[in-house]
Amino acid sequence: MKVKTKETVVAWWMVLPALLVISIIAFFPLFKTFYDSFYESSLRPDIEKKFVGFQNYIELFKDDRFIAALKTTIIFTIVSVALETAFGLLIAIVVNQPFKFRGVVRVAMLIPWAIPTAISSQMWKWMFNDQGGIMTKLLESLHLIEPGVPILGLPNTALWAIIAVDVWKTTPFMALLILAGLQLVPEELYEAARIDGAGVMQRFTKITIPMLSSTIAVALIFRTLDALRVFDVVFIMTRGSVGTETLAVYNRVLLMDRAFTGPWFGYGSALSVIIFLLISIFAIIYIKSLKLKLD
Amino acid sequence: MKKLFLVSLLLVLSVVTFAASRVTITMTAGAVGKELEVLYSQLDVFMKQNPNIKVSVMPMPNSSTERHDLYVTYLASGEKEPTVLMLDVIWPAEFAPYLEDLSADKDFFELNKFLPGTVKAATVGGKIVAIPWFTDAGMLYYRKDLLEKYGFKNPPRTWDELVTMAKTITAKEKNIQGFVWQGARYEGLVCDFMEYLISFGGDVLDDDGNVIVNSPAAVKALQFMVDMIYTHKISPQAVTTYMEEEARRAFQNGQAVFMRNWPYAWALLNDPKESKVAGKVGVAPLPAGPSGKSAATLGGWMLGINKNASSEEKEAAKKLVKFLTSYDQQLYKAVNAGQNPTMMDVYKDPSLKKAAPFMVELYGMFINAAPRPRTAKYSEISDVIQKHVHAALTKQTTPQKAIEEMAKELNKVLGK
Repeated sequence: MKVKTKETVVAWWMVLPALLVISIIAFFPLFKTFYDSFYESSLRPDIEKKFVGFQNYIELFKDDRFIAALKTTIIFTIVSVALETAFGLLIAIVVNQPFKFRGVVRVAMLIPWAIPTAISSQMWKWMFNDQGGIMTKLLESLHLIEPGVPILGLPNTALWAIIAVDVWKTTPFMALLILAGLQLVPEELYEAARIDGAGVMQRFTKITIPMLSSTIAVALIFRTLDALRVFDVVFIMTRGSVGTETLAVYNRVLLMDRAFTGPWFGYGSALSVIIFLLISIFAIIYIKSLKLKLD
Repeated sequence: MKKLFLVSLLLVLSVVTFAASRVTITMTAGAVGKELEVLYSQLDVFMKQNPNIKVSVMPMPNSSTERHDLYVTYLASGEKEPTVLMLDVIWPAEFAPYLEDLSADKDFFELNKFLPGTVKAATVGGKIVAIPWFTDAGMLYYRKDLLEKYGFKNPPRTWDELVTMAKTITAKEKNIQGFVWQGARYEGLVCDFMEYLISFGGDVLDDDGNVIVNSPAAVKALQFMVDMIYTHKISPQAVTTYMEEEARRAFQNGQAVFMRNWPYAWALLNDPKESKVAGKVGVAPLPAGPSGKSAATLGGWMLGINKNASSEEKEAAKKLVKFLTSYDQQLYKAVNAGQNPTMMDVYKDPSLKKAAPFMVELYGMFINAAPRPRTAKYSEISDVIQKHVHAALTKQTTPQKAIEEMAKELNKVLGK
């Protein structure tokens, strides 16, 4: 008994540094952001800090620009994550089959994900350019758009172009995670099912999908959290114009462009808190609905 | 042994005293075209003249928005670096609380020799917070060869003339647009919009800071911008995604008859290795509107000193700013980097006339360039203007509604 307490003490000491680091880099900023969101404040020294309670949150929900950004963010998240999961699953199943050059294909598949987002966004921006952009040329030759139409300059095409880039970039990540999950499914299960006379579709829906659910849940959480705070691809491709502004892009305007111009810092913090809460809600939904055990 | 000790002591002492008399300061710098290269050679000269000052350069992103974000981070944290900050002409009011007051050094910097508009832009609440380094103004680039071919003797003097010329030429020439400019939603759009607005007889704020943008002139100006794209079809629809470089690339590849851009493009357009239109380019002031006025938006950059630096660093910084904004160095920068001097006398220098003749010819335009609204809330004002002008250009709303909404929101921002 005595030994155990001693071990517990030692264990605590060993965990302490990690706890400290997490408190400093994660909990403290989070707490500070919550705290700031209840104040009207600015980084400008001559503007006084004032406690305003939930005023910032109330104002936010009256702010058309916030509502529009919230809508865009949710559309972006749902569409891009759904497509990434579907394509990711498909690709994972294909590259899980033995075929010639499988290793090469697996590596090649990862390339879009390995390119930093800032660079690939710029690359795609050029490909969507109206003068000689390869995507513009392609869509024109397929008569999907009229010549001279600026894809990134129109409200009904820009967001879809951005979603396409995100799907192109992150599908490999989904495929990789799902592939890892697939390799954990024991071959015996399929064998037993085959002996019992289960068809391809049955084996897929009754074995593959259930066995993959926790892997997919983790992948979904990762991707959804990323998508809800998407910034780089939007900022580089359109700077949030023509209805592509997401919450994080609007937050940059509040915290950076307006840092010294007026009392926007608390308002921006409130928006950060909302992004945090939104992410938490999605995470809880996934955890509950997929019965994922975190402990 | 004793001797060795003495020698090493001396050595240590000399190093310490040397270090004490040597100041290191940092400055931010842009890298548009040859800008950074030119700065490095200027700094070599400066450090030779001032062996006790070491200057290290922090290269900054070319986009003004991203530079602004970095400055917010540096200044809000109370860092003493960078010591010397390169500031966009629209920033002094916003960053003033963090900048050293240079009013007392007016004569040291010889500010009476500078273009008055640039000094005004560096003055916040009666205090001088920065020294103008180089100036910019929007101007019209045109294809000399094409205008000549179709019998136009002069560049367009009014917007209507520009429309006529562009229509005539694009109807006969293949694969060419009439007029490219900056229509993406970013700071550059405000610069372009201001030029139409003022040349049509409107403005954003009056001298007392009241919002006066809601006027028939403003609606007509914005309507004209929209018409250039959809009615006259002289500007491609994609102009709503163009910044300076997109416009320059189109013009440089021979895909446009006219372009609105800043002086920096001149040297690049006339480089035969890069440009298909080298030697065929002319420049002129932007055309006048129905008011008979022509307007160019004032751009340019200045040098400010970080308030948090030590007094020793501030002294060194002042010397550096004085050096970089001196007659000789402004001339060197203008000739080699194509950036317009802020000191009036430099425009009279024969070597400038030889290297960049348009700077001298368009002197009248540079001296009269129109400033954007001068207020600490500029970023917010700019954001509102960008949003509504862009909505009209992409046909999400009408010019009438865009101007009305803009006025409403500007009043809200300014608390009126």
